[in-house]
Amino acid sequence: MKIQFTDLHFSYPSGDEALKGISLDFSGTEPVALIGQNGSGKTTFAKHFNGILRPTSGTLLIDGEDIHSKTTAEWSARIGYVFQNPQDQLFLETVKKELEFGPKKIKMAQERIDENVRYAAQLCQMDDKLSVHPFDLSPTQRKFCTIASIIAMDPEVILLDEPTGGQDYDGNRLLEDIIKDLHKKGKLIITISHDMDFVIRNFERVIVLCDGKVIIDADTRTAFSKVEELASTFIEPPPVTRIGQALGFDETVIDIQQFFTCFDKRKKGTI
Amino acid sequence: MDTKKIVIDVKDFSFSYLMSDGEMQKKAVENINFQVCKGEFFCIIGANESGKSTLCNALVGLIPHFFQGDMDGEITVLGEDTRKSTVADLTSKIGLVFQDPFNQLTYTTTSVAEELAFGLGNIGVPREEMYRRVNDVAKTMRIDHLLQKNPLELSGGQVQRVALGSVFVMNPQIIVLDECTAQLDPLGSKEIFDVVKVLNERGITVVMADNDMERVAEYSDHVLVLHNNKQVTWGETREVFTNLDFSSLNLNPPVYVSISKKYINQGLWKKEVAIKEKEIINISREILER
Repeated sequence: MKIQFTDLHFSYPSGDEALKGISLDFSGTEPVALIGQNGSGKTTFAKHFNGILRPTSGTLLIDGEDIHSKTTAEWSARIGYVFQNPQDQLFLETVKKELEFGPKKIKMAQERIDENVRYAAQLCQMDDKLSVHPFDLSPTQRKFCTIASIIAMDPEVILLDEPTGGQDYDGNRLLEDIIKDLHKKGKLIITISHDMDFVIRNFERVIVLCDGKVIIDADTRTAFSKVEELASTFIEPPPVTRIGQALGFDETVIDIQQFFTCFDKRKKGTI
Repeated sequence: MDTKKIVIDVKDFSFSYLMSDGEMQKKAVENINFQVCKGEFFCIIGANESGKSTLCNALVGLIPHFFQGDMDGEITVLGEDTRKSTVADLTSKIGLVFQDPFNQLTYTTTSVAEELAFGLGNIGVPREEMYRRVNDVAKTMRIDHLLQKNPLELSGGQVQRVALGSVFVMNPQIIVLDECTAQLDPLGSKEIFDVVKVLNERGITVVMADNDMERVAEYSDHVLVLHNNKQVTWGETREVFTNLDFSSLNLNPPVYVSISKKYINQGLWKKEVAIKEKEIINISREILER
């Protein structure tokens, strides 16, 4: 699938312009991270992919087709958006019904519904909770329930809006497994996250939004080497990157292994 | 010495929540024992559902007065047994900041200033003093430029600082924060830690449940570690972090600790483990310049 944004602008009815000219292309399945401080326009941008929000000006083409040519319900069969707040998404009385709702809505055959719900539930560790009421789940489980309900629709592209918020080590590991598995199945995963370590471990391309504009679009390592641009959007590089930068390493290090490669090089150089 | 005065004393505390079907849930926390002294910046860490929120709720008396269930043991806050006290009495001394700031807002006000003044109005503080305290708190929270804004129009970090401000304005001696940075971007989270640090430096005792290990290392002086609803250890942050097996507890060690432990293993460093960014930078420089 090829998704092309050209000079996208979006203003809320209040008149606040949230997106100020975004031109980006997405194709292939390389996982993409969307970062930027609260209020930079990440969620507003993400809600454009399947038409939940429509451009005020500029164009969005999906495989050459204009976003205006179909309804959000129609686009949702191909592009799924997982809300940041599970309460905005969940409304049925069991996890199973939540998972079946989307596939039924897009008139998927019952056989495929069963298969997809089983896969999504297993992947998101919801398989033993299918009869539970979503509001009896813990907040983090609720998040996985919303992710599973989108996966069950088997879209080609999935947008995850801040899935790492409130997650602990286990939750983050499960998210990583989900993203890897979907990537292997040929899905394009675009994720909004504030957790820089999580971004580094799982994404090859990083897009940084600042005040409604794209200020960085690069591979992960290059993105975190742009100290000044990052500082302008108040993103701190992860601690290990900052330590490497403070020590004047030539390369940007994004994990401990890279840190020690640079450290050892420097140490040998000084002997 | 005054600074060694114990302000929170938790003895053999266990709690099980009463479920909606009348059944008792398995223990949410079991046999917790620790003390917090006046002026400490005390952090509670542990994986999700290890019992952090239960402890926070218990310290401010919501357990057993609001949440029903089976409580064992004893919690004493500023000399008062929480079981015998009331939540209203306790909140004048120990304030709780929720994980989700939208649970803290009153939804009855249209400006940050009114939101901050709400609690003071409830206890009948005179108008002039109210103005003074609201302005003072707004400055400390770095939200004085937002006083006329509607609380619902603020960013996540800003609204969390309003929530914290609405607790701080009541002049509590202790503030308990339950994972209140979990939904914030890194800068928003740093802003919260920074203002909490300012409150702490003004003499307020801080108890903060948080799982950002680097920030816990950087800011706290004492830490309590929970795992599977039980307490693993508590003590001074550096000592605890030096000996803790993070991965077995489903926690990521602070990167400062990981790097310095590696230096120690390689014989490059012989002194204590670093728990702050400045420390690890200085240690690394020293090793590189040898």
